[in-house]
Formats: sequence, structure tokens, C-alpha cells
Amino acid sequence: MRKLVVSRLALAVPQLVIVAFVVFSMTYLVPGSPAAAILGASATPESIRQVEAQLGLDRPAFERLIDWAWNALNGDLGVSFVTTLPVTDMLLQRMPATLSLTVGGMVVALALGIGLGVLSAVRAGLPDRVIGAATSVGLSIPEFWFGMILLLVFAVELGWVPVVAYVPLTDDPLAWLRGMILPSIALGIGAAALIARQTRGAMVEALASPYVDTLTAAGVSRRRIVLRYALKNAMVPVLATTGLTFRILIGTSFVVEQIFAFPGAGRLLLTSVIGKDFPVVQGGVIVIAALVIALNLLIDVSYGLLNPKVRPQ
Amino acid sequence: MKTKAAKRIAKTPIIAAVAATLALAGCGGGSEPSANPSAAGSAAGGPSGTLKVNWGGFPDSWAPGAEMEAGYMRVPYETLVALDAQGQVTPVLATSWEQTDKALTLKLRENVVFHDGAQFNAEAVKANLESVRDGKTAFAGPLKVIESIDAVDDLTVRLNLASPTPSLLTTLTTRVAPMASPKAIAAGTVAQTPAGTGPWAYDAASSTPGTRMSFTFFPKYWGGPQSVGFQTIQLFAIPDDNAAAGALSSGEIDITDMDPAMLERIKSTPGIESVAYPAIRNNPMFFDRGPGGVFADADVRRAACYALDTSVVTKLEPDFKARTQHFAEGETGYNQATAGYTHDLAKAKELYAKAGNPPVKIEVIAAPYNAKQFNVYASQLAEIGMEVKVQTAPPPQYNSTWNSGRYALGLGSNDELTPFDWYKAWFAADAPGNPSKTESPELKAAADKAIAAGTSPEAAQLWGEVTRIISDEALTCGHLAGEELVVWQSQRVEGAKAPSQPWETNLINYRDLKPKGE
Repeated sequence: MRKLVVSRLALAVPQLVIVAFVVFSMTYLVPGSPAAAILGASATPESIRQVEAQLGLDRPAFERLIDWAWNALNGDLGVSFVTTLPVTDMLLQRMPATLSLTVGGMVVALALGIGLGVLSAVRAGLPDRVIGAATSVGLSIPEFWFGMILLLVFAVELGWVPVVAYVPLTDDPLAWLRGMILPSIALGIGAAALIARQTRGAMVEALASPYVDTLTAAGVSRRRIVLRYALKNAMVPVLATTGLTFRILIGTSFVVEQIFAFPGAGRLLLTSVIGKDFPVVQGGVIVIAALVIALNLLIDVSYGLLNPKVRPQ
Repeated sequence: MKTKAAKRIAKTPIIAAVAATLALAGCGGGSEPSANPSAAGSAAGGPSGTLKVNWGGFPDSWAPGAEMEAGYMRVPYETLVALDAQGQVTPVLATSWEQTDKALTLKLRENVVFHDGAQFNAEAVKANLESVRDGKTAFAGPLKVIESIDAVDDLTVRLNLASPTPSLLTTLTTRVAPMASPKAIAAGTVAQTPAGTGPWAYDAASSTPGTRMSFTFFPKYWGGPQSVGFQTIQLFAIPDDNAAAGALSSGEIDITDMDPAMLERIKSTPGIESVAYPAIRNNPMFFDRGPGGVFADADVRRAACYALDTSVVTKLEPDFKARTQHFAEGETGYNQATAGYTHDLAKAKELYAKAGNPPVKIEVIAAPYNAKQFNVYASQLAEIGMEVKVQTAPPPQYNSTWNSGRYALGLGSNDELTPFDWYKAWFAADAPGNPSKTESPELKAAADKAIAAGTSPEAAQLWGEVTRIISDEALTCGHLAGEELVVWQSQRVEGAKAPSQPWETNLINYRDLKPKGE
């Protein structure tokens, strides 16, 4: 297991370097100058040149890349062109909302997805068909539309939850939880459908395995076979889907943040891309990439725990 | 940050050119109407209650000079002077002033303190103006004319000018120059923690970063507790119109900006009221009008102007209103005799033929928020044989190129609120917005005469003549004024109306507002 962790960690380093290089290059390849974005409509070529010099954008790109990478390695992601605040501080302020939302969506996706997937696998006939139809609907509903409907029904019409939902966990855990309900459902519903389908398939396969017959013959209860043995084996492919789903949820959370007025990294990155605030874009992408790589590592380790065959020999 | 209104049209500081502004600029200050800038909003028992306002986002930075819309800026900050409902420049932090061709000298209000305890004085004004002028700011341009700043004494500041600038006082009424604590500017904290002299001070403890910013009444406010109605103003950042309408209906917010289509859907809700006021101006500009240029011939420009039909745009965007010229009636620069160019295809074709039908085959740039309008214009110009291809670019790229001379024709906002600024920005031979660097002798003579008239009573008429020439030469046309729509719940708030400071976005008359029934 240690070998697995070490090998995955060793892979993470070049992955981050490549992401950093690509993000840095892409931001500087797009047309238009950050100085023009700062100066707005009254920008003149001369004032743009002056501000570019102040921002250090007149230096060779490679030199800037090396400086940025070295500082990033030391935990310094630079300073925002627009706010002049350290990017690390800005991201630390925004990431809790994004992570809350993503984890909330993941919880909804896993709870609903695995629950419905197992139910669908063990209850053939009408329940299976109904769940199958429901997952098709879940996969086809756009998150922003579903979020809007949830908001209009439960926040505006019924008044059960606030429209302005987000409260930091540290301020008021109950209000935080209340505010998380609708956005998490909106975000997690599509992923739940995906996981339900994956779980159903894996469970059907697991329940058809010879060891299930052996356990049945040995007098083990059906409930125990499903939850203790078949589900554990079915989780191996579901885990792979979960990793993929998390990445999708981070991207989709940016849209859900907009609807529920969540002060997350998505909105920050969106405004930073439009305003060409490169340090924030680069820092944000690197942090998200690191998160995804860390999660993949976690999933790979879990995968190894569940299935010894995938551990490096 | 760009909010919903920005999706419709470019917006930068737009301030009305107001009748008598120029005349007042040199009159030595005028009497101070009241120590209270808005006595109308006084509440007998002092401020109370919480006003919840949504403008769809928050400024990226609260530092002076940052792109900060008026609806945010005018909560914690004040300007040196302001415009009243009649368009007169009135005292705020400056109590009187005197302007010559070489300098603008301002006498400052006594006993004013910033929210962080710093003293407001001449040095503070100097620090603010210099930080905007010399910094990486959106509003450095309008202040470049200030060559140097002298703190004559604690309460007198002199702005030494590089050239006569009769509009400078008007500029100081706008978001170009909010007064922030010099201590906060020096520390760099002002970007996230605004510290001004306004009636409401930022309350970080009651705020949730990114969701809600809370501002509470500042006990040391120079205007006293009777100057405002609400004890607390909370700003929200609900970017989606549907969600904002829902929050207004459910009582989570009291005031929000909104698209007209959304108002139609909620206006039957009891207590919903609204006001629309002109906040944005835009018009096409013929940039390639130098010798050999696509639009060098005035008849070609006139033909294009007659081909444009702004009524199509106003139908597509109901918050736009067509105008005959840049300045509105009552503003300095308005010329009653200038009728503009009413859509007339036959006349357009006739003028184009008269010019010899020179080929017009050009590429232009639009931003996402004005691409629809530009495409409408392109299809109208096609009707007389002018081929205009519109390419859409992200706002930063659009902002840095649309008026750079790379494109023969541009469409954008003309933010200038005085005719002096408008002329100097777009039409003078050395104007940054005149890449062809050409100017007719007639226009130059008229502008020189108007500038020479300075702040005299005849200046208004002379600037009207400049407007007429600009229109006759068809240097620009197709003037539109975009309206800002502000909606509120009158069951909770009273006293709402359009702000007296015109041509500013996302704004309401904060000081006049008070809780319903108080």
C-alpha cells in the first residue's frame, strides 16, 4: 500500500507542473491585456503600456513563469492585479464555500446514487424500471435549471429556506446546513443519477457471482449478502466514477454558486478570467488541480484497499 | 466587477453635464445649502432599521480609482462636491471653491473624520487624488490634467492644472474621486475594507465575505444622525435576476436593480415599485475619418447616420431611449436646433450616391453586451451597401481596441458629462478617441471660442454650437440613453426615487430612504 501511495505522489508532481505550465501559458496567450481590463474603457495605448510595466508584464514570459513557479512552490501564489490582495488569502476566503457546496453535492450524489442503485439491483420489475426512468431524467436535467426551480419553489414560494443561502459553517452551523440543502440537491442530482446507474450495474454483476450462491447456501441472509459482500465488491467501479464525479461537481458548482449567490471560488475565477486577473486565475486553477490530484490519490488508495489486485507488486 | 446592467451596455463613469456646472465652477463656491447633504431624508429620531440592497455583486476593490459603481461607492464614501437635483454643484466635503485657468482651490469642511479615525484635511485630499491619478486605476485619465497638488493649509487644497479644465469640478462629483482614509490607502487595506467619510461605515464583523456587506451608521459622521433614515445598509450580491426577484418578494432584500422583463413578471406583487433613470449613453463613432479613410467624406458618414434606425434597438432593448444628441435638454452642450439623424433610407442612399458610393467594407469589434446592437446597425448599413462585419471579443480586449484606431467604426459609451470633456475625449485633433487626428477648422474654432469663454454665461451657448457642428459633420450619431431600473418593496421602504447624481449606475437616493412608517 505504501508503494501505491508513493508512486501516486510521485506522479502528482509532474501533473502539477504540467497544469501550472499550461495555465500560465494559456492565460498569456489569450488576446487583450490585463492592463486594459484594469483601466477600463478609458484605456489608451500609452496608459496600457505604463500599467503593464507596473504589473511587470513587460518582462519576458519565461522569466515570469519561473518566478511564479518558484513563488508558488513557496506557498506564494502572487498578488491580484485588481484587488492587490495576496491570491492565497483570496482563495482561502472563497474555497470553504466551494468545498462546502462540492462536498454537499457529493453527499447527495453518493447517498441517493448508491441507495437507488442498490434498490434498483435488488428489486427487479417496477421499482427497477421507475428508478431507471428517474436516473434518465436526473442525467438530462441541467443543474442551473433545476437549481432555479428549487429556489423558486422552496425559497420564494414556500419560504422554507433563504434565497441568500450561504452562511459560513463557523458562524452558524445550523444556518449553514439549512443553506446547503437546496444547492447541494441542485448540484448532486445529476451525479446521483450517474452513480445510481453505475451502482446498479455493478451490483447486478456482483449478485450474479458464484460467491453469492455459496453465501446463500451457507445460510447467510440476503440483506447481509447485499450490504456486506456484494456492495463492497460493487464499490470498486463506483469509486472510479466517484472520482470523476467530484471533478465534474467542482466545475458545475461554479454555475450553482451563481444561482444561489454562493461566494465561492467559481465566481471569483469567473470574474478574474473576464477581468484578466491572471494571478488569481493561475492560483485558483493550481489549487483546484491539487485538490483533484489529492482526491484521486485518496480514491486510488481506497481502490487498493477494496481490491488488493490493483496494488503494485 | 460587472453587474447585470453591464451586460446590456458598457458602463464607465458617466456623469451628467449639467446646466450651470461650468458657470458655477468659477463662481467662488456658492453658499452652502446645508451642513446636511440631504436634509430631506432626516428621520426625527435618528436612523433606524436595516436597508437591504442588491446590486448583483461587489466591487473587486474599494480603493479610490477602482471600477466601483456608484451604488456601492456612495455608501461608505463621499466626494468633495456633488450634483443636486437641479444639476448644481453643491458642497459636500469641500465647502467652497475657486477656479481659474491655472488652478482649482478648494476649502474643505472642518471636523470631518474617516471611519478609521484619520482626519480629513488637505493632505488627505492630496493623497486620494494622487493615488487615483498615479495608480493603476480606471480613472487616472480624468485627473491627469492635475499637474500638482498643494496642501495650502490644513483645510485648503490647490489643484494646479496643466491646461484650463473648466469641467474638473464636475469630475470631482463623480466616482472618479471618492475620498478614502489616507491611512487605509497607504496600508493597502482600503481595497477590501472601505474607510470613507460617509454616513455608513463598513462593519466587517456583521458581514459575510462575498455574500453580504454590512455598513452601520458612523456616530462621528459630520452630518449628524438626522441626515439619514436607515441605521444599517446591507449590500447583497445576488447575480441572478430570478433569485433577486425572489429575494425581493420574500423580504430578504428591499431594493434591487432588475431587467425590465423581470419587473413585468413581479410588478403585480403588492408593494413593488420602481423607478428608471438614464444612466448610460452610447453611440457609434466614425474613427477612420482622416484623409483617405473609409469615412473621410462627411456625406458617407451622413449616409450611414441616416441608414441607422435606433428605434429597432429601443424595441429590442426597452431600457434604451433614442436621443438626438449626446447632451440632454437642460445640460450644458445641448442644442435645441440639433435634430440629429432620423432614419431615412432614401436620403441615406442619395447621400451615399452623392459621395460616389465609395466601398465601405470594414470589420468592427463589439463586446458581448453591445454585440446585438452593433449587429442591428451592421444590417441597417448593409441596406445602403456598406459591408460591416461584427466580431465579438471579451470586454478587456474590446475595451483596449475598439477606439484605438484599428477599427474604422466603433460603438461604445461616451461617458463624458461636460461638453469640454466630450470634445477633448473624442473630437479634438489630439483627443485620445480621435485616432485619425483630424479636426475641421470650423469645429476647432468653435471649441476654442467655447473654451475661451471659460465659465462665463455665454459658454453654454458656445458649447451648443460645438454640439451642432459635431452633429452636422456626422462625427457621431445614433445617440442612445440606457436606463437603470431600480425596484423596491414600498411596504418596507419609503422615500425612494432616482438619485440626484445623474448618469450613475446601480444607485438609489440612500440618504432619503427610511423604514416604512417611521
